[in-house]
Amino acid sequence: MEQIGERRRHPQMKELVIEASRALALLDADRLEELALSCQALNRALPPATREEGTVLAAEARDAAGEMAVFAKVLEATRANLNVMSRLRELRAGRLEYGGQPGRGWSGTESGHGDN
Amino acid sequence: MGTISSAFSMMSQALDADQAALNIVANNVANANTTGYTEETPNWQENQPIVIDGVSYGSGVTETGLTSVRDSVLVARLDQQQQLASASASRLTALNTIQALFTPDSGSSSSTAGDIGSDITSFFSSLSSLEANPTVSSDRQAVLSAAKTLAGDISNAAGSLNSQRSALDQEAAGVASQVNSLTTTIAQLNQQIQSSSPNGDAGTLEDQRDEDVSQLSQLIGINQVTTENNGLSITTTSGQLLVSEGASYQLTTGTVDGVTDFFVGGTDITSQLASGGGSLGGYLTARDVDIPGALSSLDQLAYSISTSVNAQNNAGTDLDGDNGNAGNIFSEPTEVAGSAASMSVVMTDPNHIATAGLGDGTGNNSNATAMADLGNQSIVNGETASNFYSNFVSALGSTVSGVQTENTAQNASVTQLQTQNSALSGVNLNDEASSMTTLERSYQAASQVFTMLNTIMASALNLGDQTAVS
Repeated sequence: MEQIGERRRHPQMKELVIEASRALALLDADRLEELALSCQALNRALPPATREEGTVLAAEARDAAGEMAVFAKVLEATRANLNVMSRLRELRAGRLEYGGQPGRGWSGTESGHGDN
Repeated sequence: MGTISSAFSMMSQALDADQAALNIVANNVANANTTGYTEETPNWQENQPIVIDGVSYGSGVTETGLTSVRDSVLVARLDQQQQLASASASRLTALNTIQALFTPDSGSSSSTAGDIGSDITSFFSSLSSLEANPTVSSDRQAVLSAAKTLAGDISNAAGSLNSQRSALDQEAAGVASQVNSLTTTIAQLNQQIQSSSPNGDAGTLEDQRDEDVSQLSQLIGINQVTTENNGLSITTTSGQLLVSEGASYQLTTGTVDGVTDFFVGGTDITSQLASGGGSLGGYLTARDVDIPGALSSLDQLAYSISTSVNAQNNAGTDLDGDNGNAGNIFSEPTEVAGSAASMSVVMTDPNHIATAGLGDGTGNNSNATAMADLGNQSIVNGETASNFYSNFVSALGSTVSGVQTENTAQNASVTQLQTQNSALSGVNLNDEASSMTTLERSYQAASQVFTMLNTIMASALNLGDQTAVS
């Protein structure tokens, strides 16, 4: 447990990126929105106050490069999945608009007696 | 038709339809934990209208059967991503084994393939020591010991790679029977599904077929084509037919150049399967690309060290006074291929190490200097032996890292699609709109995170550079 007066360890950039990839894989939108806010705060804190902090941050950035590559790939796959789902939604919307599959359920019978 | 009885008939049919719908709901709940079960929704069919005093009234609905809520577009995307994830997973397993082979084991007391880098350094260092003391017997023996360690580790590494290749070959061959079993079942299911379509809905059979196709797509790369009456044809990604409605075509195997090749109808489709996906694609890529690549590098290393050192030894004078014919230290390879597996030390008498230059007597060290200098010369494909090996290990690490990245991303994509599929087809209370909104929100938030992290990292690296310069 964290003691009073003990400085809270700030998460490494690498951990932040891994967490973002994990949240995106699980489509945890709430967590991703929290992370976006964290990144905004981190961005506002730049540049760091001391040269040492700058060096540490640069080392963290280098260390997180591999995880960023993973995150980029997951983001790319998500965009492709989103496109598939959007297309699917359009198809479903079209189906509803034009009366569904011919010869099944309501549509076939409706056409049969001329109500539509 | 009488009005009262017609009205009762309408009510009765509506109740029957409701009851049928309730049965379907009960069925959904009962199957909530069944893998591959797709939610069934009732089909309602409008009855003939009732005409009362010339006015047409709707006559209620009849429940006519079940339609499973499945979407072939989403399922196909999920199967495609699973193919890729399976391929990268099986390739990654093989690559990790290769990488482990070349990783130094600090806990091991004996020298292993992971020590090849330090073996190269030790061998050329032993020659440098001999340069200082060309006639000292223990220094001569140390050179042969270092040579034996180097040759043994390279040879063992090649042996391990060949063993791994055989194991992967067996794994790959085993996939063929699993593929054939699944394609046979899918063809049988096709027949049953088609015989009940278009008037009936073969929900359970379709679930079973979806499950089998999903399993098949984890084994090999496939394309699916929906045919008449809900039938399904399946080809490999390169277009060879595996299932055509009620018929299946067997994947056969045969040995070609010492490894298992795969055939459909007499056509060898091994290379297409390697790039097609599924675990078979991963096994074949590791067997036919990654391991041969690693072996080729080791062969080049072994060939160059052996021929260069042997040539230099035969260019000097040994302690017995042999001029220009002191003999080989390593077994002399005749070609690059196979050099690593057969690398060994053939010299038994350390006095035959030619430390002196030709005509310089036996106590001179000029040829020992030339042999030690080989360690700093570009003798392997334009690089020093140490740099060549170091670059090989580094390239292997980079390949492993790249496949790891692909695999992580593909698994993430599969997880996302499974979530969407559950929301859409599974027995789940979430509706489609909500799941789509979650996907959109997640993507947008992740894009923001990515953009900001990219900016932060660029600034951080820039700060690091400025710090380094100042």
